Amino acid sequence: MKTHFQHLLDLNKGDLDRKIFSDPQIFEQELERIFARCWLLLGHESMLPKPNDFFTTYMGRDPVIVTRKPDGSIGCYLNMCRHRGNRVCRADSGNARAFTCPFHGWTFSNDGSLSNVPGFKEIYLERLDLQAHSLVPVAKIASYKGLLFATFDGNAPSLEDYLGDMAWYLDMILDRREGGIEFLPGTHKWLVHTNWKFPVDNFIGDSYHGPVSHKSAWMSGFEGMPRRKSGYGYEGFQVQPGNGHGFGTRWAENREQVLEMALPEFLEYERSRLDESIARLGDLRGLHMSPMHASIFPNVSLLWQGSAIRVWHPKGPQLTEAWGWCFVDKAAPEDYKREKALHMLQRHGTSGTWEVDDVDNWVQCNSANAGYVARRYPQNLEMGLGDEIDDPRAIHPDIRGRLGRFQSEINQRAFYGKWAQLMDDETPPAVPVMERRTSQGSCA
Amino acid sequence: MNTATISDVRSDMALWFRVQALYVEEARLLDDQQLMKWVELFTDDVRYWMPLVTNRVGRDIGKERSRFGEVAHFDETKTSLVNRVKRLGTGMAWAETPPSRTRHFITNVEVMGGEADGTLQVRSNFLIYRSHLEYDQELFSGFREDTLRPDGDRWKVARRDIVLDASVVMQKSLGVFF
Repeated sequence: MKTHFQHLLDLNKGDLDRKIFSDPQIFEQELERIFARCWLLLGHESMLPKPNDFFTTYMGRDPVIVTRKPDGSIGCYLNMCRHRGNRVCRADSGNARAFTCPFHGWTFSNDGSLSNVPGFKEIYLERLDLQAHSLVPVAKIASYKGLLFATFDGNAPSLEDYLGDMAWYLDMILDRREGGIEFLPGTHKWLVHTNWKFPVDNFIGDSYHGPVSHKSAWMSGFEGMPRRKSGYGYEGFQVQPGNGHGFGTRWAENREQVLEMALPEFLEYERSRLDESIARLGDLRGLHMSPMHASIFPNVSLLWQGSAIRVWHPKGPQLTEAWGWCFVDKAAPEDYKREKALHMLQRHGTSGTWEVDDVDNWVQCNSANAGYVARRYPQNLEMGLGDEIDDPRAIHPDIRGRLGRFQSEINQRAFYGKWAQLMDDETPPAVPVMERRTSQGSCA
Repeated sequence: MNTATISDVRSDMALWFRVQALYVEEARLLDDQQLMKWVELFTDDVRYWMPLVTNRVGRDIGKERSRFGEVAHFDETKTSLVNRVKRLGTGMAWAETPPSRTRHFITNVEVMGGEADGTLQVRSNFLIYRSHLEYDQELFSGFREDTLRPDGDRWKVARRDIVLDASVVMQKSLGVFF
């Protein structure tokens, strides 16, 4: 028998209930069953170069501090004093050994431990259990080639298992050169009145929207890559690696075709790094496939040509805070990195000539989808149904996962399928739970 | 910074009036959607830049703004500014189709310094109201630091640094000009 959330989509027809983008109860349940369970992106290790560096971010709607501890390891804790709940850190980033709550002065070391409480002797009579009032830690924290993830669910699979074959495809971005990638300094942050799933859906597999949504940018000097064909006839695939993730790639037969995809300002660099990438990744991932766009379940998105990586923080059923960074090969020359930052910000992020148009479309979708009558009519995600590539391994023996054509909603369907599966899973996430403390008072 | 004295550009009322008139004209061009005329107010070598603003504490107070060359909100040349304007004219720039109704309020205009060739350093505050479609209403607050360079019988903006007061941009996008 079908359970509740699986009723909201019909993967065989590509129907999706519009209420998942506006229903407050569904949003609350997402905080538990998606965001308290999944591996969530915190940032990149390059954001914490020195001991005691820290930055603050969100996991779901919970504010967290990410610290480089004195021993070099990385910690992540709720940014919440265990006394009355005040944020103990008000900075976006910095370098600190400890965080002192501005309310009553409880002080937490950057390993999360409660190291000082004003009046511990005189007021608390040394009865306060310091260890039980450490900052609440995440259950697990891990890095995949520099990308830092954490989860609040102690029962979560390992990060590598969670990413599965997506990790292997992400290597096309994360591991094409010695040293991997770094995030350039600076985070775009802006509020978008839309549900968090809209942008994830857009990045996971919507290679259909470009010629309409972004035509104005392409006409005006803000190209992404030279068009090898006009209109919709791109060569490439939607890759469905499983676990709710998705990846879109271009396909090239040879080096010349790879270089045809590079804008003139990046051509020399692309030429110079190609041999190294093929040597590191093999011919499928180093030569034939070029990453375009991707989403990592639940709320991370990447755009390769734009060097843009996003986290879509859920703020409410119809409110999302977008955080964006620019990533580059660490080994790239400085002038290339500078050029990449310019390329990114003029197309993506707060003023980006592509992304501002996406945002308005998502906002309008969200508003119209929320109507009472509108919700009686499902969204249509049928593109590419029954039209998957039959035998991906015949294209190349190394291909992993399923393949759809470059314009196909195979990845959106997989994303919502994973979403419904997790939403129907009633096993509570093993979020660290405070054990009930024995009463010390004597109130009768 | 010294307070203005009677002997320097900072207290030259006629100069101040001419600068003020330039900004009023600029605001009118922006609010009337005369963007191709607006972009001609900038020199061909203009740098039009809006850094990111972050929340910092302790010894990092004073380091809130990103540095030039890092990721920014805007980092534009004349060419990219003109291209941004052209984009809005395509009829398919969905964030501005139909265009926002804006009102640029430029205040606290201060001529901070001048050079012998007539180049001026000018600081001003802005408050920009934007109404888009039915319900999107936004206010942008911040300040600008301009270098105004003589060009014939008027000035052109040779450099504009724009600092928003917000760290998280509360607006759906920075789809208007500053």
